[in-house]
Amino acid sequence: MSQALTASKAEVSPRGSKTGRMRSRSGFLGFWSQFFRRPYGVVGLALLAVYVILAVAAPWLTPYRPSDTFLADRLAAPSWAGIFPRFRGVPPTKRLVIPASDWKATGLVAATVTRQKVENNGEATVINLSPEATGSASADLSWTLSYPYDPPKTFEVNIPYAVEAPWDASTSLSFKVVDPSGTEHVVWEKTVYGSSDWKTQKLDSRDYTVKMALGLSFFDDPAQVVFAERGDYHLALHVESSGGSAPVRVTVGEVGFNVLGLLHGILGTDHMGADLWTQLLYGARISLIIGIVAAIMAVAIGTAIGLISGYMGGAVDEFLMRMADVFLSVPTLPILIILSAFFGKNLGNIIILVAAFAWMGTARVVRSQTLSLKQRAFVESARAAGASDGYIMVTHLLPNVFPLVVANAVLMMPVAILYEASLSFLGLGDPRIPTWGRMLQNARAFGAFTEFAWWWLIPPGLAITLLSLSFTLIGNAVNEVLNPRYRERA
Amino acid sequence: MGYRTYLLRRAFYALIVLFVILSFNFALFRLMPGDPTSLIIDPRFTPEAKALLEKQFGLNDHPIVQYGKYLWSLLRFDLGRSFASQRPVRQELMERLPNTISLFLTSFVFMAGIGIAIGVFAAARRGSFTETFVTGAGLFTYAVPTFFFQLLLLMLFGYYIRIFPIHGTVSAPPPEGFWPQVLDRLHHLVLPAGSNVIIGFGSWALYTRNAMLEALSQDYIITARAKGLSQRAVLYRHALRSVLPPIVTLVFLSLPGLVTGAVITETIFSWHGVGRYLIDAVLKQDFPAAQGAFYLIAIAVIVSNFLADLVYGLVDPRIRVAGEQA
Repeated sequence: MSQALTASKAEVSPRGSKTGRMRSRSGFLGFWSQFFRRPYGVVGLALLAVYVILAVAAPWLTPYRPSDTFLADRLAAPSWAGIFPRFRGVPPTKRLVIPASDWKATGLVAATVTRQKVENNGEATVINLSPEATGSASADLSWTLSYPYDPPKTFEVNIPYAVEAPWDASTSLSFKVVDPSGTEHVVWEKTVYGSSDWKTQKLDSRDYTVKMALGLSFFDDPAQVVFAERGDYHLALHVESSGGSAPVRVTVGEVGFNVLGLLHGILGTDHMGADLWTQLLYGARISLIIGIVAAIMAVAIGTAIGLISGYMGGAVDEFLMRMADVFLSVPTLPILIILSAFFGKNLGNIIILVAAFAWMGTARVVRSQTLSLKQRAFVESARAAGASDGYIMVTHLLPNVFPLVVANAVLMMPVAILYEASLSFLGLGDPRIPTWGRMLQNARAFGAFTEFAWWWLIPPGLAITLLSLSFTLIGNAVNEVLNPRYRERA
Repeated sequence: MGYRTYLLRRAFYALIVLFVILSFNFALFRLMPGDPTSLIIDPRFTPEAKALLEKQFGLNDHPIVQYGKYLWSLLRFDLGRSFASQRPVRQELMERLPNTISLFLTSFVFMAGIGIAIGVFAAARRGSFTETFVTGAGLFTYAVPTFFFQLLLLMLFGYYIRIFPIHGTVSAPPPEGFWPQVLDRLHHLVLPAGSNVIIGFGSWALYTRNAMLEALSQDYIITARAKGLSQRAVLYRHALRSVLPPIVTLVFLSLPGLVTGAVITETIFSWHGVGRYLIDAVLKQDFPAAQGAFYLIAIAVIVSNFLADLVYGLVDPRIRVAGEQA
């Protein structure tokens, strides 16, 4: 992105179509009919249209928000990656709510199982235990889960429960996963003395309590141990009560069982289990806004300075052009880094800063155009008619340099987008906003490399590349149509 | 106005730019919210002790006096101490500078060398595969963000096919002996420098090709051909020589961009250089370090701009004679 190379390219690249005729019609329609004769301009416009559609329709193209996390496990691959051998058999996300009617009572000792509507919790399983007669009573409930996948990395269990019991009863609840070969993995055990109000026990396989219940060490992965095989698993709920002098009633709400998938959506997930497709879509909004707003600001500043400098001449011209020289000599990215750290990380600041260091090229081009325009008769006559300098600049010179300005603005957009992406990538972007640069930065910082998470790295990079390409193609086409002077002389 | 006047004028502009950057730096860090003494002064200090420290650090001086002292210390490269490491910033920068320069020079020499060679080759064989390749490479360079390409290379060759080291300038601990260490450093250099070359050579090739094509269509080339000179002689002795001046200028004009690009390259490959020092300092709010690194980078850019002007004046007789084309 060297300044000099870019400058040389700007001279070189607007060559191309040798068949382009001089403008036969002017005006809006004439412009477009000329524009559409340039295939690369059309390609650029089509690309840009795709981006605009994606950016505008983002909320309808994804069910999630960029801030939603743990939609699947961290670093889940895209769903379609299942076609690759490496991802064959990798589990998708399963979020199951086990309805009360699905539990099968497998062993009842002095117990009965019924169902009952519960407020806010659907239908609950009611287990009536009568330990007062025999000293202890128990019930086993089981539910079959078909799991034909590789081991997941994380599973979660939510168990809402309540116990109504006399004060002297001790009631224990446990949740087990029985694997296809019959081994029981006790995930949770809880003993309640007397009664307990509604509670929801949330279990995450990464929690240390789960590892303790399974008898695993801190560094073991429960999900890998419990779901080591493919086949039919049984989720089992065991309730046991003893010592009570009156019947015990245990109510279990709808049990939730989630396996966080390692395959997810269109583009997989990041280190927080957030949907990358969503981030990419919302990132398109930010990039388009930054590209367009910063470029327009930069070009507006450049045009104003170029017009004033060219028209006024003399000391004003000298001062403004030296100022442009100074800005051109300042190393842009380092100063943007320093300034964005100083002004704070927010989107508005970044746009202003990028614009503040990108106006010089436009100013020079507009100035040289103004220098030749102001020699023309119409400016002379306007001045002779008593028009003020400001009036001449705005009504006579501006419309004449406008074609240049438009082409410059379009060509400035990829520059602005790349600067913002670089800043975000370096960790100086707005932390609240999902941008492509930040996606790349996260990918680099949070393990996309060690896990070879290409789905995290390639989409944002490709998105930046194609968007800057589309602006460049459009800009060159616009330049050729509006500023035929730049065309190659055949 | 001769070459000497031209040079003096450019030197004067370079100094002005330096002065503006320094003043800007001064103002920026003075405008920053917060009391600089609060970093070293404990709230339990007595007001007398605080006043003494403020006196020692010259914080009560008139801003102009402060500014003078500031300029003087920067001229001596006295950049203060880093908040983070408590070491002199100059010392830290000097440790990193050789790394930056080695990365920079390697990238640059290969980029320009390969680019110019391929450009000449493409111009000599119009319509060949090489020419298509050059045009494609030029477009690729223009569109692909450098850091994205570098990340891809890093993922591919550093993590997937583990043939290159993933970070740093030298293995830790460095291998014994001089040559093993040189080899180790070169091994670390391949990815960062290589990615710069791949990204950068396209525009050089494209520029050279275009300049060569323009030169080859000139009348004196037709004359040379008509004389019966070999294609080689026409290409190298006549056409290439005439396009060398703009290319040499371009060499120097591209230096500032490379210096700036070093910030990102060094960050991606964890290169122990000045650019990454700047980023780290900014992220850690280590202001003296950030200021020092920025000062060094700004000087590098200003000096290379001035060198470009100097060479441009030397190779272009119009400048040498007229001197008005600024």
